[in-house]
Amino acid sequence: MFTLIKREIEDHLAFFLGAIIATAILIVPLVSAVLNYDPPHNMPVYAIGLLIPVIIVVVIGLPAMGASQMYTDRNRRISAFLSGLPVTRSQILVARIVTGVLAILIVLVPLTITGKVLRSLLLPPIPIYPGLIADMSVTAFLMALACYCLGLQTGWTSSKPTPTLAGLALTFVLIPLIIVKGFGLHTTVILVLFTVASLVCTWQKFKSTAL
Amino acid sequence: MDENVIEVENLVKYFDGRCVLDGINLKVPRGCIYGLLGRNAAGKTTMIRILFGLEPSTRGWAFLLGTESSSLSRKVKGRIGYVAEGHNLIQSYKVGRLVKLCRDLSLQWNSEFFAHLIEMFHLPMDRRVSQLSIGMRAQLNLSLALAIDPELLVLDDPTLGMDTVARRQFLELAIDLIQQQGRTILFSSHILSDVERVADRIGILAGGKLVVDCALEEVKNRIRKFRLIFAESAPEDLHLTEIINQQIQGREMVITVANWNRQKQAMLEIFKPSSSTELPMSLEDIFIECTKPTAVTTASQ
Repeated sequence: MFTLIKREIEDHLAFFLGAIIATAILIVPLVSAVLNYDPPHNMPVYAIGLLIPVIIVVVIGLPAMGASQMYTDRNRRISAFLSGLPVTRSQILVARIVTGVLAILIVLVPLTITGKVLRSLLLPPIPIYPGLIADMSVTAFLMALACYCLGLQTGWTSSKPTPTLAGLALTFVLIPLIIVKGFGLHTTVILVLFTVASLVCTWQKFKSTAL
Repeated sequence: MDENVIEVENLVKYFDGRCVLDGINLKVPRGCIYGLLGRNAAGKTTMIRILFGLEPSTRGWAFLLGTESSSLSRKVKGRIGYVAEGHNLIQSYKVGRLVKLCRDLSLQWNSEFFAHLIEMFHLPMDRRVSQLSIGMRAQLNLSLALAIDPELLVLDDPTLGMDTVARRQFLELAIDLIQQQGRTILFSSHILSDVERVADRIGILAGGKLVVDCALEEVKNRIRKFRLIFAESAPEDLHLTEIINQQIQGREMVITVANWNRQKQAMLEIFKPSSSTELPMSLEDIFIECTKPTAVTTASQ
C-alpha cells in the first residue's frame, strides 16, 4: 500500500506543491492580519481579499487533483498495468484516496495549528465558543474531501470536458451550503453523506469497469 | 494442489450486442504450455482479460489457480506473471523507476534472474519506457513477469508488432528460459510458428467458440483432409459427422474431417470412391480450415 501511495504522490507532485503554496498564502495574511489587528477597528481588508481567491483555488484544486488522478489513470492505463501486478483494484483506489486526504491535510493541519496558536497567544480574550476552530477544521476537511471525491468520480466516469466541468462546478454548491448552514452537525452530516455517496459511486464504477 | 491452473466454464462475452465469446470451456493442467490461437478479433485477448479480471464476463466463470477471476487476491496475483497485449507499461516512467515499482509491489522478486535478463536483453535502465522500441518493451515486460518466479505465466500476443528478427530473438532467448523452468504458460498468438515451437497443447478460437482444444500432436492426427474422386459425380452428403470443410467439383471432393476414426473410414468406403488421397496438413492448414466461417466445433475434448 505504501508503494502505491508513494507512486500517487510522485505522479501528482504538482498538486502537493500547490497545496503547500496555498497553505503558505493562507497563513501569511492570517498572521499578518492578527498582528496588525487593532481591536476597535475591523480586520485589514487585504487579509480577506487574499483569502477568497486562495479558497477558490483550493476548492477547484482538489477536485482537479481527483479528476487528474483518475483521468491520467484511464488515459495511460495505469490501473490496467498495476492490476497485472499483485495489486487489487480496491488497493489502487484506497491508495488514491489516501493521497487526496494527505493533500487536504497538508493544507488544513498547518492552518488549524496556526489558528490555535494565534487564538491562544495573540488575540484579546473575546468571547468565542471553545469548539469553533475544531468545528471549522472538521467542516473544512469534509468539504475538501467531498470536493476531492467528486473529482475522482468525474475523472473516472467522463472523458468529455463539459460534464467534467459541470461536475466540478457542483463543488461550488458546497460553499453556499456552509455559508447558509454554518459549522456544526447539520453541515457535517450533509457533507459526510455527499462524500460517502460520491465514494460508493466511484468505487462501484472503478471495480466494475474494464481496465 | 489444483490440477487445473486455468478453468473456464461456459464463458460468454458480448460487446455492444456482438457475441465475442460464446460458451467457452477450457481447462489448462499444471505444467502445460497452452497455445491459444485465433484470427484477429477472435476473442483471445478478451478471454485473457476476463481470466485476469480486467474485463467482466457477460456469463460464465473463469478461475485462475483455483480462484474466481473477478476476485483475484493479491496473494494469487503474486503467483501469476502477465504480459499484456501491446505491452501495457507506464510509458512516462523511466525503466529503472518502473522496475522499482514492480519490485516493491511484488510478493517475491528474483533479483539475480532479473539482472540476468536485463543484461541479456541489453535494456537501458535510464531511458523512458516510451523511448524503447516495441521489441525492447516486450523484453522488459517479459523480464518483469519472469522476475516474480510465477507459477503461471500469461503471455498475450507477446511478439505483436515485432519484426522477424526481434520475434525470433524474443522466442529463442525468452521462451526457452520459460520452458526450462517447467511453468504453466498460456500463450496467445496468431503467429502459428511461434505457438508450434513452444506449445504442447493448443486451442483455436473461431466464431466465439473454442473449435479445437487438444494436444499439439493430437490435433494433427485428429484432423484429416482427403481428396476423393468418384466414378460419377461426388455425393452431396457423405453422412459423416464433424466435417470441418467440404468442397465439391464434379467428381472430385475435398473434405476435412475432425476426429478421424475407423467408423468414419468405413462410412466413407460405402460410397466407393475410385481414389482417396490424404492431403498432408500443417498446423497452418488446420488453423485456416478451422477458422473458416463454416467450420464446426471439432476436436474439443
